[in-house]
Amino acid sequence: MVETLIYTYLAICVSMIIFNIVCIYYFHRRDKVLLRCNNRFVEDILKQIQLEQPDEKHLKDLSKKLTKVNYLMAFDEALERAYEKDPDRVKTYIRQLSSVFVYLTLEYLKKEKIKAAYFPYIINKYDILRGLNITLVTDAMLELVKDENLYCRENALQALYSIGNANSVLEALKILDKSEFYHYSKMIYDGLLLFKGNRLELDEKIWENFFSFHTTMRVTLLNYFRFSSGDYCEKILRIMIDKKEEDEIRYNCIRYFARYPYEPALSFLYDFAEQEQPFWEYTAITASALASYPNEKTISVLKVLLCNPNWYVRYNAAESLNKLGLRYEELIDVFEGKDRYAGEMLRYRFDQKRLAERRNRYE
Amino acid sequence: MSNSTFLIIQQILDCINVFFVIYLIGYSSFLFLSVVIGSSELYRKKRQERFKNSLLRDYYIPISIIVPAYNEEVTVVETVQSLLALDYTLYEIVVVDDGSKDATSRKLIEAFQMEPIRRPVHRKIKCQPEEFIYESSMYKVPLTLVRKKNGGKADALNMGINACKYPYFICMDADSVLQYDSLSRIVRPLIEDQNVVAVGGVVRPSNSVELERGRVVNYQLPENILACMQVLEYDRSFLASRILFDKFNGSLIISGAFGLFRKETVIAAGGYDHSTMGEDMELVLKLHEYCVLNNLPYSIKYATDAICWSQAPERLKDLCKQRKRWHLGLFQSMWKHRVMLASPKFGAISFISYFYFLLYELLSPFIEILGVATMVAAFTVDLINIPFMLLFFLIYAVFGCTLTMTAFFARTQTVDLKISFIDVLKALFLCFFEITVLRFILAFVRSTAFIGYKKKKLNWGRIERKKINIK
Repeated sequence: MVETLIYTYLAICVSMIIFNIVCIYYFHRRDKVLLRCNNRFVEDILKQIQLEQPDEKHLKDLSKKLTKVNYLMAFDEALERAYEKDPDRVKTYIRQLSSVFVYLTLEYLKKEKIKAAYFPYIINKYDILRGLNITLVTDAMLELVKDENLYCRENALQALYSIGNANSVLEALKILDKSEFYHYSKMIYDGLLLFKGNRLELDEKIWENFFSFHTTMRVTLLNYFRFSSGDYCEKILRIMIDKKEEDEIRYNCIRYFARYPYEPALSFLYDFAEQEQPFWEYTAITASALASYPNEKTISVLKVLLCNPNWYVRYNAAESLNKLGLRYEELIDVFEGKDRYAGEMLRYRFDQKRLAERRNRYE
Repeated sequence: MSNSTFLIIQQILDCINVFFVIYLIGYSSFLFLSVVIGSSELYRKKRQERFKNSLLRDYYIPISIIVPAYNEEVTVVETVQSLLALDYTLYEIVVVDDGSKDATSRKLIEAFQMEPIRRPVHRKIKCQPEEFIYESSMYKVPLTLVRKKNGGKADALNMGINACKYPYFICMDADSVLQYDSLSRIVRPLIEDQNVVAVGGVVRPSNSVELERGRVVNYQLPENILACMQVLEYDRSFLASRILFDKFNGSLIISGAFGLFRKETVIAAGGYDHSTMGEDMELVLKLHEYCVLNNLPYSIKYATDAICWSQAPERLKDLCKQRKRWHLGLFQSMWKHRVMLASPKFGAISFISYFYFLLYELLSPFIEILGVATMVAAFTVDLINIPFMLLFFLIYAVFGCTLTMTAFFARTQTVDLKISFIDVLKALFLCFFEITVLRFILAFVRSTAFIGYKKKKLNWGRIERKKINIK
């Protein structure tokens, strides 16, 4: 019995080795074929860009060939090579291919998702459908946003940002919000920052729907606003002072005011710093944010925070005091004070500043 | 010999025979499954990359790289230089000199123009006190040197965790080199799954590999036979068990040479254990235990494309020392976390991973030696069919070789490394030798690991260091 089993395993393993060898040969052959195909595409593209419009036969030929993902990859490389030779004309040529890519959308939607992901990648890479509001395409992309394959979802989102339709992006956010699949928050807000349509329209639509999203998405959107615009201080202040709001959301509001100093928010920030909070995170994040509000009160609040029992609060307070550019004499009460930990933390920040200055001089 | 004694011996041998049949069926099936699943997984990944199922931009997760060092003056500067050349933006390097007796700290301070700094260390895990801290901000990422009182590798790693500032840390050896893209690849599982608490990378022997700014410019099998056999062995073991275990969150080991961890969870679980030699395995077991017993959602992943190049011992003496240390570490870790044995709460981790490590790793040297002893005993009482035994041994060797070669091909093919025909022949010859000779030598060595192990408690397990071949 053992021998039979081992012989069976052996046979399968030998076939795996043969599979490996065949793979090596196949990949080698495939690369050669794709290179030939790639060269033909480059020739075609260079011919077509001399014309005002690509001819019908060429478009038909592309619509047929590019349904195969290998050809699409070869075409991608060919576009890159042609772009190096004549970037302006290739850009115009790419814009003229929109009808081909609209046709291809349905073809790729039917494919295995690992292959389907390549299609939105190309749409995004060359901005092929930018500004074109074609429901067929945006619906297909939204369909891919529902997929369990993270990369398929992400490529589809990138394509939607490239197309630049605010309604579709909002729809995609709603899908992600309801989805059971995890989508890394930074990917979402970094992607939103790449949106190529009307940013104001998008922001407006997001704000209209902001409170209908779950906490995780709301945190993501606040991060997006933090990196995109300082125009929403009023709205964000209202969220920050709402005690019924989730803590994670309120933390992000404090971070927003660290980036965009807003005087009406300052008294609330002092409250976070001075009053006992349910979680130390409020005080620690506020200690960082106060670096953007240089005044006497801020300094005295930060000096108090420097003696806070929480390590992170002390760490951030020391960093903020350092950012405010105070001199040794102005902080002598801390250095010479009774709280050894406060002095140590501040001294470390001063030492770091000295090292950074040395680096700047060196550069 | 009387008839009754003869019958008793025969019955004992029959029982041993049945045991070995079951043991071998289990082992062959496991190896077979893992190589098949491992190879398919590598091809799937290759296909994913080809169709741009990958991150189009870098989503930097802040990482602290902790390099524990003890008497590493030969390699530490090159290691840090290679870390500074990594293709990643948001990271810091923290070298922890565990009270070296050589010039490890001085070499670093001089090479990187480091300056002393009074840095408060947030001591979240117990460790020996620091003697001095140096920093340098002259490079693209912050570089810190913490010199502390000697306390062993685990203690040095705990100090690194205390001193580092980012939410994820990577532990690595001071004689290893990370491939240029290893950080962006090892963080991918964190982007794919929010519950990931640890990710293991692939460790490959760097002997005879030429690296330029973290990129492989010349790959060939080492000239040293021992190192060459370890290349095959690493390919097989990293391809085999680790990918399979990864499928059901059952990885019990992340190599100390290259692993990424969520700092918060490691601190909550208690950090590295000073009292075990295999602190890397012990930490992974501890994370499983901590998360399962506290009902926390978690996963421990394996990044098949995040590569770390590490020196494999080239002398038999060093290899034996290393394997003894690993075996002791394995025993200590498994003993400490014996709660996982046959516990339904741990599910597949208990009944597959833990059981596999117990039977086919921890006890295997003893079982293999028992097998040889049985054969000798059977031979003396004329109860053995020698042609059948030789045939069986040959089948076993060919089976092992086939698996090794499958792993070797899959590994080189899927990471686009070019290998020469001579290297293929060399691999073919040496994998046979590795399975038929080296394996038994190492089984014997591992079985003697327990002799005098108390004395070695905080030993760093030195092997001869060579300059790393990097440009």
